[in-house]
Amino acid sequence: MQKQCFLLSSNLVGIRLAGSHVDTQEPKTNPLVSVSNEPETLYKRLSLLVKSHDKAVLESYEYFAVLAAKELGISVEKVYNPPKTIERLTLLKSVHIYKKHRVQYEMRTHYLCLELKHLTSSTAAVYLEYVQRNLPEGVAMEVKKTKIEKIPEHIREPVWDTLPQVEETEVKS
Amino acid sequence: MALVGGAVLGAAGHWAVLSRSCGKAVAAPLFGAAAYSSVPAVSNRDGQQREASTRRRGRTPQFVRQHLPPRTEKMAVDQDWTSVYPTAAVFKPASVPLPVRMGYPVKRGVPPPKEGNLELMKIPNFLHLTPPAIKKHCAALKDFCTEWPSALDSDEKCEQHFPIEIETVDYVSSGTSIRNPKARVVTLRVKLSNLNLDDHAKKKLIKLVGERYCKDTDILTITTDRCPLRRQNYDYGIHLLTVLYHESWKTEMWEGEKTEEDMEEYIWENSRSQKNALDTLLRIKASENVSDVTKEELLASEVVKDYRNSVIALKNEGETEKNMSLYKESVKKLLNMQVLP
Repeated sequence: MQKQCFLLSSNLVGIRLAGSHVDTQEPKTNPLVSVSNEPETLYKRLSLLVKSHDKAVLESYEYFAVLAAKELGISVEKVYNPPKTIERLTLLKSVHIYKKHRVQYEMRTHYLCLELKHLTSSTAAVYLEYVQRNLPEGVAMEVKKTKIEKIPEHIREPVWDTLPQVEETEVKS
Repeated sequence: MALVGGAVLGAAGHWAVLSRSCGKAVAAPLFGAAAYSSVPAVSNRDGQQREASTRRRGRTPQFVRQHLPPRTEKMAVDQDWTSVYPTAAVFKPASVPLPVRMGYPVKRGVPPPKEGNLELMKIPNFLHLTPPAIKKHCAALKDFCTEWPSALDSDEKCEQHFPIEIETVDYVSSGTSIRNPKARVVTLRVKLSNLNLDDHAKKKLIKLVGERYCKDTDILTITTDRCPLRRQNYDYGIHLLTVLYHESWKTEMWEGEKTEEDMEEYIWENSRSQKNALDTLLRIKASENVSDVTKEELLASEVVKDYRNSVIALKNEGETEKNMSLYKESVKKLLNMQVLP
C-alpha cells in the first residue's frame, strides 16, 4: 500500500503549514525545528500511570496534563483514577521488649491513569518530555507505549519460497 | 517544699508568657493576633533575652529591622503571572497575592496564614503551570509535533495496515538512580489471521507456542525480557516470530503419525462415526433388498450430510440445546423413524 506520504515527517510539516496559512506570506519556519526523512514510528496508544502520595497534587497534575494534550492536539481517550493502595506496617514501639505495644504506619498511593490515542513519535517525544519535566516532587510515572508496525519483510513468505530454485539445498529458515 | 517550688516556677512561667505575648503584639503589625498553634515554644530564658531588643523603650532603629511592604501590594490585577512564576519554585508568600491559609486550626480559630507557613512551602505548587502558561508553552512546542496520518482513524484500519503491536514501558521516579530493571521488557502481539499461514502451518504454530496464544481473540503474545537491553529484547522477539513462522511451514516426517487424540478439532471423514453410519445404512438397505448403493452415493445423500454436520457441531462446540436437537432430527431422518407420541 502506498502510505509513504504520511510516513515522511518532512512532507507532514509541509502539509500542515500549507493548510493553516491562507495568506500569501511564506510561513515562518522555526529555526530550531529539524526535519528528517526517516519514517515516523506510530504509537496506537500511550498510557500514563501517575502515582503519588497526595490526591490534591494528582488532581492538579491531571488538569495540567489534559490541557497540555488538548493544546498540542492529542486525543485523550480516557482519564480515570484506579483505586488507591494502602501499605500498612506494624512495628514495635519500643527499642527493647514491650512486645504488646506496637505502632502502625501506612503508606497511601493514589493513581491517575491517562490514555492517549494515535500519536506519532515526534508528538509523543514532545508531550512526554514536557509532561515529565513538570512532574512534581514525589510523583512517579509509568508510561506504556504501544507501537504499531508492519510485518517484517522476512515473514511475508517463507524464505525458501523467495530463494531461487536450486536442487538439493538444505532448507534454511 | 516541692509544691511551693513548683508554684513559684509556675508563676514565673506565667509572667514570661504574658510578657512574650505583649512583646509580640507591640513589636510588629505584620504578625497577626496569636490565634494559631504554630508559635514555636520558647524557653523562658531565651524569650527574655530575645525580647530585650524589642522591649527596648524608644525602639532605636539599629535594633529594629525595617520590613519593606510585600510585593503583593504593588501587583496589578492584570499582570503577567508567567513572569512572576516562570519555573517551579517554592511558595513565596510575599509574591503570591492570595489570602491562603493552610494548617490545622487551634480550637475556635482558623488555619494559620501564609506568612512563614511550612505546610504551604512543603507541598508542590502549580503556580508556574497556570492555564495561560500552559498555553504559551504548548504554542511554542507545537512546531515540533507532527500529525497523525488521517487515513488511520480507526483501530481496525491500524490493524489492517500495521498488524504487529510492540508494547514497552518507561518508568520515571525520583530516587538515587534513574534506571529501572523492568524497563527492558518488550511484549509483541500479532493476530494470526494477518500472518501468511495455511491450515497446517497455523495448527502447528498454535501447538508450538502453547500458552501464548489466545483462541478467543486470535492473538499471539510474545513477552521477552531475557536480554539486558530493550532493543535486544525487541530483536529477540522478532527473531522468535520469524523462527516460529518458518518452522510451522515445514512439515517433518514424524508429523504423519498424528493420531486422532492429537487433532485440535473433530474431523468426520475416516472416523468411527462415519464408519458406523455407513455400516448401518448399508445393512438397512440390504435388509430391504434394495439394489446395492455405493458408499459415495450414501455419503452424498442429504440425510448423511445432516448427520455429519450435527455430529461435528456436537463434538466441536459442545452439547447445547440446539446441537442436541439437530442431532436428534438427523438421527431420526437417518433411520427413518417416525415421531413417537
